[in-house]
Amino acid sequence: MNDMKIKDVVVMERKEDTGIGRFLKTVFFVEILQGMKLTLKTMFTKPVTRQYPKEKRPAMPGFRGLHALVRNPETQQAKCVGCGLCAAVCPSRCITIYTSEGEKHEKVVDRYEIEVLRCLYCALCVEACPFGAVVLTEHYEYAGYNKADFKMTKDKLLENWDKYMAGTKGEEYFKRFWGPRADDFKTPENQAVFKGRSQSKVDLHNAE
Amino acid sequence: MIKITIDGIEVQTDREITILEAAKQVGIEIPTLCTFKNLSPSGSCRMCLVEIERLSRPQTACTVKITDGMVVRTNSEAIMRARKAVLEFLLINHPLDCPVCDKAGECILQDLSAKYGAAAGRFKEGKRTNPVSFEDPVIVRDMQRCILCTRCVRTCDDLQGAFAISVINRGSHSLIEPFSGGRFDCEYCGNCLSACPVGAITSKLHRHTYRPWYIERQVETICGHCGVGCTLTLQMRENTIIRVIPDFEKGLNSGMLCVMGRFGYDYTEHEERLRSPLIRKDGELVPVSWEEAVEFTAWRLKELVKKYGGGAVAGIASGRCTNEDNYMLQKLIRYVLGSNNIDSAARLFYRPAVSYLERMFGQGITANLIPGIANSDGVFVAGGDPTTINPVLGIAVRSVWKKGGKVFVVGKSGGLRSNIKHELNHAEGAGALVLTWILAKVYEKKNFISENSIIDKKLSALKVPDMDMLVRVGVSPEALQYTADELVRLKNPVVIIGPETVLYGNGSKNLFLLGALNYVLNGRLFVLMDEPNTQGCLDMGCSPGVLVGGRPVELETFGHKMENTAGMKTPEGTGLNLFEMINGANSGSIKAMFVMGENPVFNIPDKKKVESALQKLEFLAVSDIFLTETASLADVVFPASAWSEKDGTYTNLERRLQRLRKGTMSSRGRADWKILADICKALGMKESYTDVKSVWDEISRISSVHSGVRYESLIGRGGIWPYGGEPLRGIEGDFEVEGLEDMPELPGFAQSGRVILKEDKSLIHSSSLSRYSPALMGVASEPLLMINPVTAQSLGLSDNERVVITSDKGTAVAILRADRGMPEGVAALSNTFKDNGFRSIVGYTIDPTLKSLNITDRVVTIERAKQL
Repeated sequence: MNDMKIKDVVVMERKEDTGIGRFLKTVFFVEILQGMKLTLKTMFTKPVTRQYPKEKRPAMPGFRGLHALVRNPETQQAKCVGCGLCAAVCPSRCITIYTSEGEKHEKVVDRYEIEVLRCLYCALCVEACPFGAVVLTEHYEYAGYNKADFKMTKDKLLENWDKYMAGTKGEEYFKRFWGPRADDFKTPENQAVFKGRSQSKVDLHNAE
Repeated sequence: MIKITIDGIEVQTDREITILEAAKQVGIEIPTLCTFKNLSPSGSCRMCLVEIERLSRPQTACTVKITDGMVVRTNSEAIMRARKAVLEFLLINHPLDCPVCDKAGECILQDLSAKYGAAAGRFKEGKRTNPVSFEDPVIVRDMQRCILCTRCVRTCDDLQGAFAISVINRGSHSLIEPFSGGRFDCEYCGNCLSACPVGAITSKLHRHTYRPWYIERQVETICGHCGVGCTLTLQMRENTIIRVIPDFEKGLNSGMLCVMGRFGYDYTEHEERLRSPLIRKDGELVPVSWEEAVEFTAWRLKELVKKYGGGAVAGIASGRCTNEDNYMLQKLIRYVLGSNNIDSAARLFYRPAVSYLERMFGQGITANLIPGIANSDGVFVAGGDPTTINPVLGIAVRSVWKKGGKVFVVGKSGGLRSNIKHELNHAEGAGALVLTWILAKVYEKKNFISENSIIDKKLSALKVPDMDMLVRVGVSPEALQYTADELVRLKNPVVIIGPETVLYGNGSKNLFLLGALNYVLNGRLFVLMDEPNTQGCLDMGCSPGVLVGGRPVELETFGHKMENTAGMKTPEGTGLNLFEMINGANSGSIKAMFVMGENPVFNIPDKKKVESALQKLEFLAVSDIFLTETASLADVVFPASAWSEKDGTYTNLERRLQRLRKGTMSSRGRADWKILADICKALGMKESYTDVKSVWDEISRISSVHSGVRYESLIGRGGIWPYGGEPLRGIEGDFEVEGLEDMPELPGFAQSGRVILKEDKSLIHSSSLSRYSPALMGVASEPLLMINPVTAQSLGLSDNERVVITSDKGTAVAILRADRGMPEGVAALSNTFKDNGFRSIVGYTIDPTLKSLNITDRVVTIERAKQL
């Protein structure tokens, strides 16, 4: 440390007004007037910042905002089958799913809850979903006064899909950015796989 | 010494093991689907193919034994290709419905596919379809997912010995099917569930609710259904038990469970669970606060003791509660209230049987290891079916047979039917006759020189029945001859004693005969125990004559050990036993009773008598998890916490101390010891207990058999008392045998239309607790009357008919079920179902020698029920 030469550091000497010059500047508010001049000038120019509540920034394609559960247009029900992969992959553990056996022995999703305040918008859930049933919409304005409002239930999440992915928008958007690479359960080679818990580690790169 | 090379690593072993095992020892993982713990290799999945030098084709590592100089390669390119191909074949018919399959996340096929499998299959043909079978109440079979590894079939045949399932059809149409077709007609042990590597056989209890990553907590605990004490793991999510799985590494059951342990956990969440303490006000039980209930109980007990003395108070302990609970109850009754009147349902069979055998041979004679049964070369069973009373002990008996040992059953063979060569199914009441003959023959043949003059004298006094008599009670001479001949040859025999030896009279003689037989054979004794902690309940002094640690009360009166070590003054005199308490309550000498976790109204015969006795009490307090028949008569009811909700220790029938661990939180009840400690405190007890450990510390300080056992050290299989000491045997003392020199009477054969009733211990139910388990009720929902088909026919009744059973003491309704295993003229009814229990419709006397239960009034009429 001691050997280091200070040749790269240039020390600038600061010249400070002294004496009468400084006194005059202070008495006549020269510096303040200079500042005010700039302020007045900018008052009549176009603002450079975005005027947020009036002017909204369009979300970039693939933006990760509020969550939604995809509604199947045919059945009008959630596409989700309750496999729980999103809950398994979620790094902040904010997804809770309760499933049960239905009357016809099918799997019924009783509760699908996302604690939005804990979510870190990594979209691993979307990536893990084998059915393309969960998605992050472009909607990002959901500030609220109550913590309970941020607990998204299944109904709220389906509502989000209707609201923010209305018409064909959802489908297109989903296909373009979030859709699974294949329609069957085959795992695309470039997609992460849930490897199970108890078993030994799976080396994805060496497995074909 | 065998030397082999696996992937360039040299392995040396002494034993001839398979390549798979050898590779595992050096940390090389060979994927396999059909190999499973404790199962013999089958080589059916072809996943474990390895290359062996100088062999032209790949070999299955799970079946090929290592030989010296073998060079094995597990990771060559050809092997990788082979694995991929095998998986591709396995997935031809596999539905790949992982998102809705309960096994996903712990499925071996899934893991191997991720690791070795191809991304896509090349087969264009459609998948074979098999409809999913939902016919069964607890097991779902989805044969589309099955990969035919036959792990379930091998578990069922080789380990469980039930032979209930098999592969049917051929080729790609093969599937696993129970022999009964559709719905299982088996022991419902569910061991095939834990064997299945995929989701083909799954539990219906957690169907579509379970995912491995939903499990928030898991706890290793002890099963609370029978006296074996299997280790199991509770898996929980949000304070509910999602599923129960066995632990293959720990515990004496080595991964085996029975139907009660695996499926019978859901009674803890039954809606009828008691939620708050109840006090009877104006004839109605109304919910009150804990403080009020405790204060009220303490005040009433204090008042009654003041008025009538300590002898007017009695306590009934329970084999379903932990050692600590039972200790606390005897502390309340003995040392706080000053009465020796404490007993438990162990009085009905277990306690008299064990103490009688201990009088014959010394303390701890029945403390033998359950896993050790499998090492025996012959098992002699009398008085009950171990496969239904203690199912995992029954599995050990079957494994003796599997290894070529002999199994003999006197009486109904039940679950051991396929393991015996000859039936010794005698007519009702002729057990002593058969046993006497066998014992006399073995004694004669063995040329036995006894060192115990007392037993010797009694043996020579026995009168041996002749063959004619035996033939008349329905036993074949060949069977008897075979049994005697084979018994003599046994080197390491086991004698198992069930409750029927005592319950139906002749108790002391039967026990003497079996004890003597065991003595002559030099075998090991086991006494079946139907509740998880009956032994512990006795060790804790919940018996009128003995204190904690089995110390007789008489010793204490001049030894004062309790007083010296714990400052607790033992009341004088022997207390009343269970039956005397009931009589005392009837006659008015017992005024108050505390019943913990027991249901005497249902479990002691002669319901009307017991009920009226308990009603006469001035004060009855009950702590239980449900409002049982007894609790509904009480003045105060405390909601206790159930088996999965408390910590503590259980002592199983081999006297193994094992820790019970708290799984789910109890929002409804408190542990019994806590309730009792609060009452003791309100009555002026000085000690205070913070947790269950502090109770145990006191026990280990006082009890001689538990001394030095630390609560923390009770992990895994726990410890067996006497700890590190000499076996407590070889005590010689005289004992009584009732009717020793009498020739056993031939039983009077039933008159026409009348049948002798017996108690049936169902495999599915563990006494009356399991009627609150929806799963077990789903398997066996109605009371069954097991009866010989010939007898049924002579009564004009057919199978599956609803019948009314009438005795002098009451009536019960059940479904008739023909059972060829029953002797003629005998029917069996279980003591499980509300209002239709066996014990409610029979009477009882007390065995004069054993002071045990002797069930009488068993002659019943059976009629077709009127159509509703």
